[in-house]
Amino acid sequence: MNKHTKMALMVAPFLILGGYIASDFYIEDQAQKQRVFQLVPYGHCDVINQSCILKSGEFEVNVFDEAGITKVNATFPLDTATLFLVDAEQNVSTHQLGMTDSPYYWQSPTALRSLIPKKGDKYKLRLIANIKGGQYISEFYTQTTQ
Amino acid sequence: MEGKTTYWQENLRLIFICLAIWFVVSFGLGLLLVEPLNAIRLGGYKLGFWFAQQGSIYTFVGLIFWYTAKMNALDKKYDVEES
Repeated sequence: MNKHTKMALMVAPFLILGGYIASDFYIEDQAQKQRVFQLVPYGHCDVINQSCILKSGEFEVNVFDEAGITKVNATFPLDTATLFLVDAEQNVSTHQLGMTDSPYYWQSPTALRSLIPKKGDKYKLRLIANIKGGQYISEFYTQTTQ
Repeated sequence: MEGKTTYWQENLRLIFICLAIWFVVSFGLGLLLVEPLNAIRLGGYKLGFWFAQQGSIYTFVGLIFWYTAKMNALDKKYDVEES
């Protein structure tokens, strides 16, 4: 092993370390930038019968209702989650969801079950889910199928 | 003296080429162009991800040997080889 090999082997770890630190700064900077993504329903959305998945890339949100409690279960931990019920006159009732157990699970009591109890009933919902560096938004309809 | 200057200039040129390759592979392919490269698959892995995880390391190791070979050739050219 001559002097050049020794020199290259000594310098390489510092370059790798420098690259690692610089990458971390770059990624951190990118993550801080607020970006907005749209969630779209994956198949038919029926919140009452617990069959409503919203999707954006690898991020998925399951929205379902259990005994008048509307719940949101996300694949990534959320900072906040807000659900809006929009009636036919475009009046909005806002529900700030509260965290349950972990940042993956959020819920709030809503009137959704009493608003669309019968098969074929339809209601407009909006969801805003905030995660670090990103805001996921969606406007979708839930329709009771059974 | 002039020989030493040109030797050093060629050495610097080689170092800058190595640093440019280091930057392109680690930051360019592994970070800045990661999304378009991820559209390409290499052995089941996304290419951008592969460069960030493995490809850049392989290139760094390759650079060590390439730099050494080029420097040895430079030493021979300027007759300053190790005895």
